[in-house]
Amino acid sequence: MNQRGGWALIKSTWLSWMQHRSFFFLLAFMWMIPPLIYLFVWSTAAGGKTIGGFSRGEFVAYYLVLILVNQLTYSQTNWTVGDVIRSGQMNTLLLRPMLPLYDTLASEVAGKVVFMAFMIPVTAALALVLRPEMHVTLRNGLAFVPALGLAWALRFFWGYWLALLAFWATRADALLGLQDSLVFLLAGQVAPTALLPGLMREAATVLPFRYMLGFPVEVLTGQLNTVELWTGFTFQAGWLFVALLLFVTMWRTGVKRYSAVGG
Amino acid sequence: MEDRVEAQIIVRELCKVYRVPEREAGLRAAVRSLFRRRYRDVVAVDHISFTVQTGEVVGFIGPNGAGKTTTLKMLSGLLYPTAGQARVLGFVPWERKHDYLRRISMVLGNKSQMLWDIPPLDTFHVLGEIYHVTPAELKQTLDELVELLEMQELLTKPVRNFSLGERMKCELVAGLLYHPRVLFLDEPTLGLDVSMQGRLRRFLAEYNRHNDVTMILTSHYMADVVTLCPRVILIHHGRLLYDGELSALAERLAPFKLIRLTLSNERAEDEPQLPPGADVVEQESGRLTLRVARSEAPSITAHLLNTLPVADLAVEDPPVEAVIDQIYQEGDV
Repeated sequence: MNQRGGWALIKSTWLSWMQHRSFFFLLAFMWMIPPLIYLFVWSTAAGGKTIGGFSRGEFVAYYLVLILVNQLTYSQTNWTVGDVIRSGQMNTLLLRPMLPLYDTLASEVAGKVVFMAFMIPVTAALALVLRPEMHVTLRNGLAFVPALGLAWALRFFWGYWLALLAFWATRADALLGLQDSLVFLLAGQVAPTALLPGLMREAATVLPFRYMLGFPVEVLTGQLNTVELWTGFTFQAGWLFVALLLFVTMWRTGVKRYSAVGG
Repeated sequence: MEDRVEAQIIVRELCKVYRVPEREAGLRAAVRSLFRRRYRDVVAVDHISFTVQTGEVVGFIGPNGAGKTTTLKMLSGLLYPTAGQARVLGFVPWERKHDYLRRISMVLGNKSQMLWDIPPLDTFHVLGEIYHVTPAELKQTLDELVELLEMQELLTKPVRNFSLGERMKCELVAGLLYHPRVLFLDEPTLGLDVSMQGRLRRFLAEYNRHNDVTMILTSHYMADVVTLCPRVILIHHGRLLYDGELSALAERLAPFKLIRLTLSNERAEDEPQLPPGADVVEQESGRLTLRVARSEAPSITAHLLNTLPVADLAVEDPPVEAVIDQIYQEGDV
């Protein structure tokens, strides 16, 4: 572990990113559009009634939390890992006495700070206008923190091992696009998981995607009883273990195959 | 192994084979390759062996695709070899132990480790942290390097705005600020103008003299090799063709010398009487270039001085570029 170097990298990446903050603000705005659309669709559909137990205000609360959680767990850096391998820029990272993973983590942390500088005021303004209904209990508030952390780790490492396929196939990033689509469908963006039709709901419960995004939102908005909460944590931890295993295997075998492009 | 104890780089039968996909041109071949891919083995480095002692500067030369950079990448731990062994500073490079990476540096002329959007000083501080250099040590090293490379004014400008030469100076500082013991330089003067090339060469020579750092350098500019490397390793098609002094290589390949002489004005128009064994290569109003066998150069020179009104005379080796070109063309020494 090289924590000194890792921390310095985070600081410098953050400085570097702040040079282009308007670009990242626009990216953040782009990413919040799909959940915002579904916020309006569901809250309008609910009107004065409830749909599947959700009132208008609860849909608003669900989607506003989802917008923040999506932004916090989305690993935009996964997209650059494949480029770094393909273009040979990995050479520079492999020559340092530090795992190249640190470099990606530095971008991840730096990115979150820049994105949140935009997202928090925007979501707060939306909350003032749209009047969400949410009663956070102490249990849900406390459970949300590890659920969010695990969701980020799962989404990050799942994307990272897919990105590492670039050691073998030049356009492995297509799989990241597939991951994004599955998160969109099964992780509570199109609709809260509880409202998905039978087979899709079962798939969402078993597959890793809900645990990357929807699960922490459901925890905070109080949709889960104690059994569902612990089942969710078990799935989340289990899938994270699988993701880490795949990441370590891909990294070790991939780096031996690396052909250090150029020259 | 019989290598001397102080050998810092020991390479034995090192070999690298790349497996590259190939297909013929055209749509049909493209569709066929979707279902059945054909591969070809390309031998980039073919069982080469050598050792390098502490403080030596070795020029690694060969035509494009000879296997120079592949060898350097294996020695710096970027590539796993297909076969063979190597030890650098007692480490197996491709195990990429952090203790090893802290002791070596690889400067790639065509790749940058600088962060483009921030001034180089910020990147240097990050690298200082990554390599665990204390702030006081970092400041002292930076001051020295910045002075040697005359780049004080660059430290606070974003790297994005630098010229190639300015960026290369930064790459060198980045590669040296943690005092590596072994330096791999891959085309460090690539694309630089003549005066910048000269300045970097002087810097590297001085740095090697003061710090006793072991260097392996690849370059297509023979001036880099002639100025910096008393010893060259020449590879071609992945095979080691020559390992020794550059001057000895020239002697072996070009068993002749050139005598350039200028005759005094009053006799310049006459046809000079030349001794046997002196062939005229160039002749132009009183100036002559003669080619003579190495062994006969002293006697022919004496004869010329005694029999002709010589205003000026110089005995030279043929240009090193001509010698190297001969090897590249013939593929053998």
